[in-house]
Amino acid sequence: MGTRYTIQELIVARAAKELRDREFVVIGQGIAMAAGVLARKTHAPNAVILTEAGLLGIDPFKVPLHIADPTCTRGFTYSCDMIDIFTTVLNQGYVDATFLGVGQIDRYGNMNSSYLGDPDAFTIRMTGAGGAPEFVGYAGRAILTMSGGTFVEKLDYFTSPGYLTGGNARYEAGMPAGSGPSVLITTRGVFKFDAVTKEMFLSELHPGVPLEAVRAEVPWDLKVADTLKTTPAPTGEELAILRSFAPDVVMGRKLQLEVVMQQVIKLLTQNAG
Amino acid sequence: MEKFMDADKRMTAREAVARFVRDGDSFVFANSLYCMPLALTHELIRQGKKNLMAFQQGGIEEIDQLLLGEVIDRLVIAYNFRSGGPRIVSPLDRALKEGRVVIEEMTNHTLLSMMKAGAMGYPFLPVLPGIRVTDVVRRRGFLGDQRFAEIRDPFTGAGMLVVKGYNPDFALIHVQRADRAGNGQLWGAMINSKWAALAAKKVILSCEEIVETGVIMSSPHLTIVPAHKVCAVVECPWGAHPSEVLGHYDYDFPFRALFVGSAANPDSARAWLDEWVHAPADRQAYIEHYGRRFGKKTLDAFRAKPFKSVPADYGSTFSLDWDEEGRSRTMGLTMAEFIAMLGEKGALIDGN
Repeated sequence: MGTRYTIQELIVARAAKELRDREFVVIGQGIAMAAGVLARKTHAPNAVILTEAGLLGIDPFKVPLHIADPTCTRGFTYSCDMIDIFTTVLNQGYVDATFLGVGQIDRYGNMNSSYLGDPDAFTIRMTGAGGAPEFVGYAGRAILTMSGGTFVEKLDYFTSPGYLTGGNARYEAGMPAGSGPSVLITTRGVFKFDAVTKEMFLSELHPGVPLEAVRAEVPWDLKVADTLKTTPAPTGEELAILRSFAPDVVMGRKLQLEVVMQQVIKLLTQNAG
Repeated sequence: MEKFMDADKRMTAREAVARFVRDGDSFVFANSLYCMPLALTHELIRQGKKNLMAFQQGGIEEIDQLLLGEVIDRLVIAYNFRSGGPRIVSPLDRALKEGRVVIEEMTNHTLLSMMKAGAMGYPFLPVLPGIRVTDVVRRRGFLGDQRFAEIRDPFTGAGMLVVKGYNPDFALIHVQRADRAGNGQLWGAMINSKWAALAAKKVILSCEEIVETGVIMSSPHLTIVPAHKVCAVVECPWGAHPSEVLGHYDYDFPFRALFVGSAANPDSARAWLDEWVHAPADRQAYIEHYGRRFGKKTLDAFRAKPFKSVPADYGSTFSLDWDEEGRSRTMGLTMAEFIAMLGEKGALIDGN
């Protein structure tokens, strides 16, 4: 029997490999933060993590609850504000990459994080746009992960720009040359985007996942790389770092709710008089 | 903009909200995620304020609580946490479906740019134009065309996307410390605080502690909102609980989870609001209730350990023009020689 890992660990470890040393990366909470920190603790020690809360050069000691909490603010190099992050940092081209979790995505990497269902008669109101539209629009590239989201032919609501209708459409709409989603990592595999058409294709399958399982989740005729690779399993070192830094990310949201709620009740009752 | 010049603006949260908040007002949270003004937020609910319009960058629990309290009916927002995941129906979900609130979806950058334009007294500001293709710009909510517009760069002729400036009627802010006049000092994540506070016509400020003005004068770089913007100063320890305040306390995760769990169901949500907002008369009573309900030790576990910033040294020689022997450093003259010189040069005028 080889290494045993959770699906979140596989996704985070694979996402971390996308970040290069000395890059500026904008990060949100959860899987994204875990991936950024893992990269810094392994192959990219000089990567600079920033969050839209106005924090640059942070060094979180555990995975934060949100992008401005005290795990992010114990020692950082530049305290600015949210306007600065989007203008003097992002708009000036300093941001090499952004990590982003996906709710709904289409074949050209356009994303929805606002509503599931018709916005006027929705079934779920998601978190909303936050900083995603500008970060995906203007960062050097976007590294996407999806663990609870879906592939759709047409988005219910268009929150963040991928490659629009494909080809050069994104750049004709004014976004920086070369920018856009570079990779999407899901619970089944890894997708990349064709250099010319900008349509996503399957590039890697996670260990043990059959191709049909991926096709079943994608509502269009999915293109597949000529040589389909297998996603590398997380190493023992990566797992040790992740389990220490981000145990709540590693276990996934469903388990987290269950386990953490039990602990919440214990914490709130143990000292009650 | 009205200038608030009273030297001592200290009052209770109850007085501040009663005096400065009118039904139908618009307001902005001048903290987002971090250091949330939750004691002031609860006072809006306790006093039954109605039909307010809220601007908020990123909400955690405050938007849901205001909706449960039926305080706001219009919401301009970029992000609202769904801590319970997609399966939980949040108070925001219910309010939207039942038509009790209308929402305007913005991005963090464009929403804060609306505040920055308003703060600077400009009618509009340019924003990153790439998002013009998205539904955030294309779909219109209750603000209609009073959000985004397309103009031409007058210098190059290129197309630009701009947002309209807004000046909310008031801002709520919580900070670490302030003086009696309202010079408010905040550190940690700065997020939207400066621009949201400066955009508002007046600022209702709560703080962990009131300090002497001398403390402010030795650390003016920490002042995020100046006294002349502030109409009320509320000293309120634990005023941001269960969010965090650096140097004072961490976020209280179990308490937050308790709210998220309660908020999923209308009956338990109402019970939560009765217990934690309506029953306590003020924040002190809320904290005392917390102690009785969960034990004082539970709350004490969230108290911050110090992580001191190296103080900035604002020192200089502080020398007067006159040296220790009473001789001017710039002229080399004593006071008597100086006055004699003025006479000799004909610079002195005879009075009557």
